[in-house]
Amino acid sequence: MSEILQYVHKDSFFHRLHPFSKILFIIVASVMCILATGIPFLVLMVIALLVIAYASHLHREVIRQLKLILLMSVVFIIITVLTMPNGATLCYLIPVGIPVIGGSVAITVGAIEIGLILALRFMVLIFAFQLFLISTQPRDLVHAMEKLHMPIDYILMFILALRFIPTLQIEGQRIHEAQVARGYNPGDGFIGKMRSVAPIVIPLVSNALLRSNVLGLTIDMRGYRTGTRTRVRERKFCTGDYAMMSGLVVTISGFAVMAVFASGLIF
Amino acid sequence: MIELKDVSYTYPHTVQEALHRLSLVLEKGRCILVTGPSGAGKTTLCLAASGVLCHEYGGKKSGIVTINGRNAMDYAGLSDIAKNIGVVFDDAEAQMIFTTVEEEILSALEYRGLPPDEIERRLAAIMEVTFLSELKDRSPHNLSGGQKQRVALAATLALGNEILIFDEPTSELDEHATRRIVEILSNLKRQGKTILLVEHKYMHFREMIDTLVVMEHGAISAIGNPDDVLKDERIKRIVIPDFSGIGDNVSYAAPKSEMAAPRTPVIEIGHLSYSYDDVPALTDVNIRIESGEFVAIVGENGSGKTTLVKQFNRLLVPASGKVVVLGKNTRDCSTAELAHNVGLVFQNPDHMFFADTVKDEIAFGLENLKIENKDEIIDAALNEVGLLHAKMLYPRWLSRGERQRLAIACVIAMQPAIIVLDEPTTGLDGDEARIVMKILKDLQAKGHTIIVITHNRDIAKYCADRMILMEKGQVISDIHVRVA
Repeated sequence: MSEILQYVHKDSFFHRLHPFSKILFIIVASVMCILATGIPFLVLMVIALLVIAYASHLHREVIRQLKLILLMSVVFIIITVLTMPNGATLCYLIPVGIPVIGGSVAITVGAIEIGLILALRFMVLIFAFQLFLISTQPRDLVHAMEKLHMPIDYILMFILALRFIPTLQIEGQRIHEAQVARGYNPGDGFIGKMRSVAPIVIPLVSNALLRSNVLGLTIDMRGYRTGTRTRVRERKFCTGDYAMMSGLVVTISGFAVMAVFASGLIF
Repeated sequence: MIELKDVSYTYPHTVQEALHRLSLVLEKGRCILVTGPSGAGKTTLCLAASGVLCHEYGGKKSGIVTINGRNAMDYAGLSDIAKNIGVVFDDAEAQMIFTTVEEEILSALEYRGLPPDEIERRLAAIMEVTFLSELKDRSPHNLSGGQKQRVALAATLALGNEILIFDEPTSELDEHATRRIVEILSNLKRQGKTILLVEHKYMHFREMIDTLVVMEHGAISAIGNPDDVLKDERIKRIVIPDFSGIGDNVSYAAPKSEMAAPRTPVIEIGHLSYSYDDVPALTDVNIRIESGEFVAIVGENGSGKTTLVKQFNRLLVPASGKVVVLGKNTRDCSTAELAHNVGLVFQNPDHMFFADTVKDEIAFGLENLKIENKDEIIDAALNEVGLLHAKMLYPRWLSRGERQRLAIACVIAMQPAIIVLDEPTTGLDGDEARIVMKILKDLQAKGHTIIVITHNRDIAKYCADRMILMEKGQVISDIHVRVA
């Protein structure tokens, strides 16, 4: 089964980067995509991220999220069309010909544009964070976060939240099978999903709570919370990191220059 | 060294004592094996001996626990005690924190205040003794149960403690994986480690045990040299599962005489192949199972046993070939329809329980199949598995053995002709395992076809009519073990 947001062990330039470089990378990507409102520029950012994913052999994992992202994009566009009519009207959701209600809910160019911008920003954020998470070992994350003086309990909480995803995924599948084998047929669609909640979620949560007890004891018994530790195999700043930093500086300057002189592209 | 003196303990919100005036001494370099029925307090004993009860749990406590000559209460906390004792719990999955095997062990080593060279040296040594070197870059979630348990063990060894406590490390493991754990623990014992081991598989560990402890109802009912303890026949039945004679009294002749004519096949599998993504799990499997048979499917983890039985009620659909259940090709039926004919009891009963009472839990299946006379059927099913007294209890409060029996009741209430069970004796002591197998033999006598997946060759030998051995997704042998 494919695991969501889990570290994928490969040897690529992005894997070898220091966690700090990667954190800086997502900060720059996030800020730029939030500031920018030009659709061509945002599309360019998405393409750039996909190129990085391809170069670090992680494109398969990244593309797997595409279905969810496209679904969210459609939802964004529907919401903006319904709530933020703006600019020229393309057509009406309910044709003008229909009496009384005809001609309501205008589909406007402005609303679609805003929806697209939101969807593209969403894509950039998800791709950037996903690239960071699946290319960084939790150990390195712990090291980096410790250096930033984050309390160890918060670091562990972050790591464990990620770590529980595949466990719940696999467990949910097993519970589903056990209930279906008992003739359970909740049906399709929204009502089916709602009906399937109790027989699946109750065992899932009960088992997860039991498990979290053992997990908590394990963390204490292995001494993860006591703090003093020897750092081995720490990631050092390497050529790739300097290259990444230079790349980021060039990108930021380019972004600033274009913001002033060619604002049509970005804003 | 650990010493428990007159330790009693009651969990919060309960009235019954989980431990009752228990005294036990674990001397340096010795190995104690603790066994007994589920619910006897074995896990609670592990928690008491490791100081967890003193520091992490509420509830009513009395008595004294001494760890390496110091009262457990005088330690600053669990992290302080953890410098003396390493604990491995039964749920291996819950002990995986990081994303590769090497990272898991390395992270545990980093907290010991050792110089970097020493950490690297120990990492290599631990990987070697736990046979994990080849798996170092694998994700713990994708490992088999036995491999996961070895990772949990390795991460605990990384702490370098002299005292080790194991709570059922092999409960979910097959024969091969169990033997690996036995080998590792024997080596640790030889190195002079002090070991407290809670286990049902006494026979596997008998070579390394100095003292055998049998617990019942929160107290020690027998303790001493294993040979002496096992002289008591009643105790012996708890420690060593004995399935002999189970099938003999069952009137297997009854269904046979009714069906003097050639038996009808209930399941016919022809040229069945199946694969997960690109990994083949079943290759050209051909099996014909007849009505009223008791079939044991045996084989190591990953040999395709569970994948095979999931085809019977269309949880999986054949990639090629066909599976015909009671004359119907499974491709043409839904899982819900097949649930009328095939009941599947999974390995872990906790994957199904969600209702507030035992009664409602059984009623769930009946409602799904729209079966009338619910109350009568529920009583009959509970009576069959000996749980009538628990009808109004919360399913998760039952002991492991009782939960296993409830899972069987849930399935037999739906009155399927074919009952399939995946490892029905996992985590059960000798007595409980025997009760479960007896229930299955009784069901067979009533005309059900029983198919059991098991690691336990004794079950196949004493209970089954037929044994199918699987290896790497293929049927290696298919023999009748008893003359029906």
